[in-house]
Amino acid sequence: MIRTAETDTALRGRVRDLYDAYYDTLDDVRLADWPDFFLPDCLYRVIPRENFERGYTLSTMQAESRGMLQDRVTGLTTTQMYAPRYYRRFPGPLRISATADGIRTRHNLLIVQTLIDRQSEIVLSAVCHDRIVDQDGRLYFAERIVVIDSEMIPNSLIYPA
Amino acid sequence: MAETSACARNGRVWETGDAGKVPYWVYTDQDVYQRELQRIWYGPHWLYCALECEIPNVGDFKTTTLGERPVIVVRSAEDEISVVENRCAHRGVKFCQARQGHTKDLLCPYHQWAYDLKGNLVGVPFRRGVKRQGGMPRDFDPGNHGLNRLRVEVVNGVVWATFSDETPPFRAYLGEKFWAHYTRVYDGRKLEVLGYNRQHIPANWKLMMENIKDPYHAGLLHVFFVTFGLFRADQKSAVDIDETGRHGILISRKGEQEVNDVTADLRNFQGDLKLADPRILDVVKEFPGEDTVGMITVFPSVILQQQVNSLTSRQIVPKGPAGFDFHWTHWCYADDTPEMKLRRTRQANLFGPAGFVSADDGEIIEMSQQGFSPSDMEEALVMMGGREIAPTDYMVTETAIRSMYRYWREVMGL
Repeated sequence: MIRTAETDTALRGRVRDLYDAYYDTLDDVRLADWPDFFLPDCLYRVIPRENFERGYTLSTMQAESRGMLQDRVTGLTTTQMYAPRYYRRFPGPLRISATADGIRTRHNLLIVQTLIDRQSEIVLSAVCHDRIVDQDGRLYFAERIVVIDSEMIPNSLIYPA
Repeated sequence: MAETSACARNGRVWETGDAGKVPYWVYTDQDVYQRELQRIWYGPHWLYCALECEIPNVGDFKTTTLGERPVIVVRSAEDEISVVENRCAHRGVKFCQARQGHTKDLLCPYHQWAYDLKGNLVGVPFRRGVKRQGGMPRDFDPGNHGLNRLRVEVVNGVVWATFSDETPPFRAYLGEKFWAHYTRVYDGRKLEVLGYNRQHIPANWKLMMENIKDPYHAGLLHVFFVTFGLFRADQKSAVDIDETGRHGILISRKGEQEVNDVTADLRNFQGDLKLADPRILDVVKEFPGEDTVGMITVFPSVILQQQVNSLTSRQIVPKGPAGFDFHWTHWCYADDTPEMKLRRTRQANLFGPAGFVSADDGEIIEMSQQGFSPSDMEEALVMMGGREIAPTDYMVTETAIRSMYRYWREVMGL
């Protein structure tokens, strides 16, 4: 494993740009654009820490393809019922390393939720383990595993992490 | 009914004999809630504790909460599971803070009082004093100071416990009809945990029971279900209730994605909706008969879910009148193929705090509580399908809610 941060500042810049764009898209609730950050064949999980640590794959939210991410968006925009809310995502510093199957990253993530006439509250406190690949000069998520410490979710988890 | 209770003194009397109405204060009143803890949660009812497979080896334990009381569920012998209150007999410490683990004994860290796996007090440091000074009084008998131990039954892979000596055996508690419903899925095969989901829902605990006793809402609120034919008001279905009225089951058969007079009543039916990756709808038949859904409410503590191939126990832990914790244990059969485990894991996207359908339920019952709280002398209507209380072979009914409240009023004396 190579410590990319020391060897390739250009790549590090591209990865940071990817995350900036990703979190901007979600915070602005441009949900239709969200699946495009992923490869068609990808794995996305928001998984409670207790499941992750015991080797269970059962997730609070899971998608095994870009299609399933699109279906999640379809659910959110056409079939699901929920109170209106804002989510704002606060990622922590990035740890980046290059591996044979892509760029591995790790960072903390806090998601703050605000409902109408309510004080803001933390909906997720998590660590993200992602794998990013370069395809045709653009970076995509091949894998994004969001491991949530805050397993007791304040009612619903509506929008993705 | 005639007794003068705190609730009656507060003007909290169920005025009407009408089974078609439920006063809002049953969801909001603190005295009513305290009485529920005493008469229902700590009364003659079996409460869900765990799946047996969570604690396979002697010394394995998990902690949970029954009513508001923390307990430890521990395998105390090869063929024995004990459920003891997680409260040291010395100073009342909730001494076990781990969610799950393995131990030789149960030890309170404060003064190191030690209990064996059955909850017997086996160690009191300095019981005889130090250098002949101090120590417990001569008449102190450790035999009288064990952890409070509950009655336990392990029934086809599920651990149940009760605080009361009056509770009938579990099979009698379910009744023969519900024993048949229960053993359809919990048929004695070995179970295995797939994982957990946990959420706090700011709504009265009974609203979750009602939600699963009410098939009427599922064909309207859950557009995802209706759109993809997983649960629709025109499907062959049934509502069954036990002799006492406290337990209920919704039974249904999966249909197809089609437009007809049922979907015409649904404002936002999405007839032309297609999933980009429909593997979530890859359902296989696995139980005898034609039914694809069997949602059992075992009063008061748990919902046993069989929704197509998704199997879960959903445990309710009440937290005051206006909230409860909801613990989902997703499971499979130990001899499932990897494909079947993956299928169940995939279908779990429908359920839990981010579920395509279950998120709707958490949201809507929070909104119910918001409606009840400021207007607690108003009444909710539960007269869909009439005012009768009887099993039905159709879905557009609230009979199982009416039956739960008939039983609730008997137990509560309200």
